Amino acid sequence: MSIIKTNDVKKWFGDFQALKGISMEVQEGEVLVICGPSGSGKSTFIRCINRLEQHQEGEIIVDGIELTNDLKNIEAIRSEVGMVFQSFNLFPHLTVMQNITLAPIWVRKKSRSESEEKAMELLTRVGIPEQASKFPGQLSGGQQQRVAIARALAMEPKIMLFDEPTSALDPEMIKEVLDAMKELALSGMTMIVVTHEMGFAKEVADRVMLFDEGLMVEENTPTEFFDNPQNDRTKLFLSQIL
Amino acid sequence: MNLEYKKSIAWMRENLFSSIPSSILTVATSFFVLGFFRGLFGFAMASDKDWLSVLNNMQLYMVQAYPEEDFIRVWISVGLALVFAGTSIGLWKSTEESSLSDVFSKFMKVSLAFLFFTVVAPTFSSVTDNDGIIQTEESFPMETRLQLLIPSAILVVVFFVLKNLKLNYKFNKSDLLCFYLAIPIVLLWIIKLPTIQLDSSNQRIIPDPLMPIADTTKIPWTIIFGLFLAFYFIGSRFKDSKNMKRTMSISWVLLPLFIFSWIFKKPEIDLPTILGQDIPIFIGIFLVGALTITFINNPIVEKYFSIYLGVLIAITGIALFISIPILLKSALLLLVLFTIVIPAVSSSAKGKRNLIIVWGVSLFTLSVLIRGGSSDTQIIVQQQSIFGGFSLTWLLAIFGTYVSFPLGVLLALGRNSKLPIVRLVCTGIIELTRSVPYITWLFFASVTMAVFLPEGVNFELVVRVLMVTAFFSGAYFAENIRGGLQSIPKGQYEAADAIGMSPFQKTSLIVMPQALRAIIPTLVSSAITAFKDSSLVTIIGLIDFLTIGKVIIGTQSIPVNFVGHDRENLLFIAFFYWIFTFTLSRRSMKVEKRLGLGER
Repeated sequence: MSIIKTNDVKKWFGDFQALKGISMEVQEGEVLVICGPSGSGKSTFIRCINRLEQHQEGEIIVDGIELTNDLKNIEAIRSEVGMVFQSFNLFPHLTVMQNITLAPIWVRKKSRSESEEKAMELLTRVGIPEQASKFPGQLSGGQQQRVAIARALAMEPKIMLFDEPTSALDPEMIKEVLDAMKELALSGMTMIVVTHEMGFAKEVADRVMLFDEGLMVEENTPTEFFDNPQNDRTKLFLSQIL
Repeated sequence: MNLEYKKSIAWMRENLFSSIPSSILTVATSFFVLGFFRGLFGFAMASDKDWLSVLNNMQLYMVQAYPEEDFIRVWISVGLALVFAGTSIGLWKSTEESSLSDVFSKFMKVSLAFLFFTVVAPTFSSVTDNDGIIQTEESFPMETRLQLLIPSAILVVVFFVLKNLKLNYKFNKSDLLCFYLAIPIVLLWIIKLPTIQLDSSNQRIIPDPLMPIADTTKIPWTIIFGLFLAFYFIGSRFKDSKNMKRTMSISWVLLPLFIFSWIFKKPEIDLPTILGQDIPIFIGIFLVGALTITFINNPIVEKYFSIYLGVLIAITGIALFISIPILLKSALLLLVLFTIVIPAVSSSAKGKRNLIIVWGVSLFTLSVLIRGGSSDTQIIVQQQSIFGGFSLTWLLAIFGTYVSFPLGVLLALGRNSKLPIVRLVCTGIIELTRSVPYITWLFFASVTMAVFLPEGVNFELVVRVLMVTAFFSGAYFAENIRGGLQSIPKGQYEAADAIGMSPFQKTSLIVMPQALRAIIPTLVSSAITAFKDSSLVTIIGLIDFLTIGKVIIGTQSIPVNFVGHDRENLLFIAFFYWIFTFTLSRRSMKVEKRLGLGER
């Protein structure tokens, strides 16, 4: 069953067309990796899925709800879709624990004790339970990104979106974040990951897509994508990045 | 000792004389600073200065024409504020300690500075006489100098010895603060100065050298200080209780409201009206709100909630235009506002209980204020305003800030709003208020505002000035807060969106806390500006702290002639203002430090 379905999605920033008609489907439990050169529209596309950006044409259906301007729909979808950003975007004035429990308490209306218990569980899962009472500014980049993953998971989302989660990290911290993501993928979470980490794509992804200039130019299983690329653009991209 | 000496030489070389330009700067600035203080000290000590003109007029400075038989209201207000202060100092008790020798070293430094300036103070000073000719006269003669020199030299020696005994008893810094505050209270009983009074025929002046200063106020001050200490100890008992701290913070917000109404009015209480009208209204409206909170999660209630809210709004709308007690009108209005926010905040059983308490307290506060506000007052003053002197300055500063700050937050949010009409209105208010000078607004309050008010509605001048001040500094606050809002990165909004927060939650939990913390220094300087700008009200005939010193005391001839002694009063006023603003800025620096801790 497809949990995300997009049909001919188009998006303009002023005169510049960022998305030139993307149609795709994601099945429940699938891990999809989107790669492509910068400016190819891949980030814009996943930001359209939880309406951080508005698409102007086409339709996006998430978990059976179509994304329109209806605020109720948008809030409903956003609480089902977790998102991890390139620049973490943790709330600097709140502790790690407060960062994670904020949404469960205020959006899901859960009790504080229940949310904190759940938050500790998630922090253990991403491997930093001892940092709960610190502020984000006191953590390393890798730790911050793992807190961001825990924060998104605290809402118990059905889908997780990752927008270049490792691009702002030092090389030695990338691994800890990727490990957390792998663990998540193995647990059966539906994930869309925009990344340049080809190792991650090979190992974890069910499907890999290449975006270029607002279009999806290739879509394939990882083995086929890396070993036997069909499109010339893919060949060029792979030769540059590998 | 030798090592310490070497260390301080090294420190000086490193920090004061590291290069030729820095040496020049050090010498030049210390020359100016010392020169300034030398002149100041010489001015304060000069023989022609009559500091009694300040001391004897303390009552005038503080409350001006407030009727003496109602002073108990002022004392209770001051006492309440100090009791709150004591509790707060206890609750947020410092964990730092300082040893006895640190205390003595502090005292030694103060007496050393006194000694130094006594030695270097100028003997002669220039005086402008009535014809505008500058003359030199001996203002600080040798015998006065010696009278000061000997005791201060003794003090320096005593404290130097005490300091070097290296007494290492540790004292908590908050305890020490209480001790320092006790010093002026004790001085009230000890220091004796001639107090000038009138005799029975209202003519002669009897200087009584045996009267302690502030003879009439020493007993109230002592009682208040005792209460301060008592509540300090109670507070420090509860210093781990988060609930107490929260209650205290809210009480601080409500305190000015209470003090204002308490000093402003002594309402003519009409018991039958209260029993027969106010209490039934309070109970009725309270029950409606409490029941709504209790059953909000019931599915049937949830289903018909919007209809219920609509009916409530309709009833309130009608109620505003028919003639019923004003208390009922405002209670209904509060009920509507409360009912709108109930679904957003109440969830768990504990949350509901807290919400009912909040509801009860706010309704009660409203009822008391409305009853007090709509009754006639028994305090009658023969002038424009019941507030005068420091009470007026205090009122304009604190109350102006308290009203204008929330207003500023709303205006800033409104100006950033996506709704065009809200944005237009807020931008209009801000730009209009800011583009007109404060003095013009004051004239507007005193002369023109009555024209704009509905028929039959009339406010006291002070209240009109407060309204204008609220908007004026509110507009400035709004622009400062907007600056803070712009410093929040876009990612914070996106992150809040991505976890499904509503716009209200996003603003109140994510954006506003960060924006406000980014602009604490600006907010404090706005508050300080409001405090000082309050002296402009003298222009429309209100008598503030500054006017008392400059105009009233400077022309006072009964019971004693203080004509021409306005300069010492100005110095005192400057010092008084300085104490308040300095304390404020120090507090805000501490707050900044505490909040900034996690961010760096």
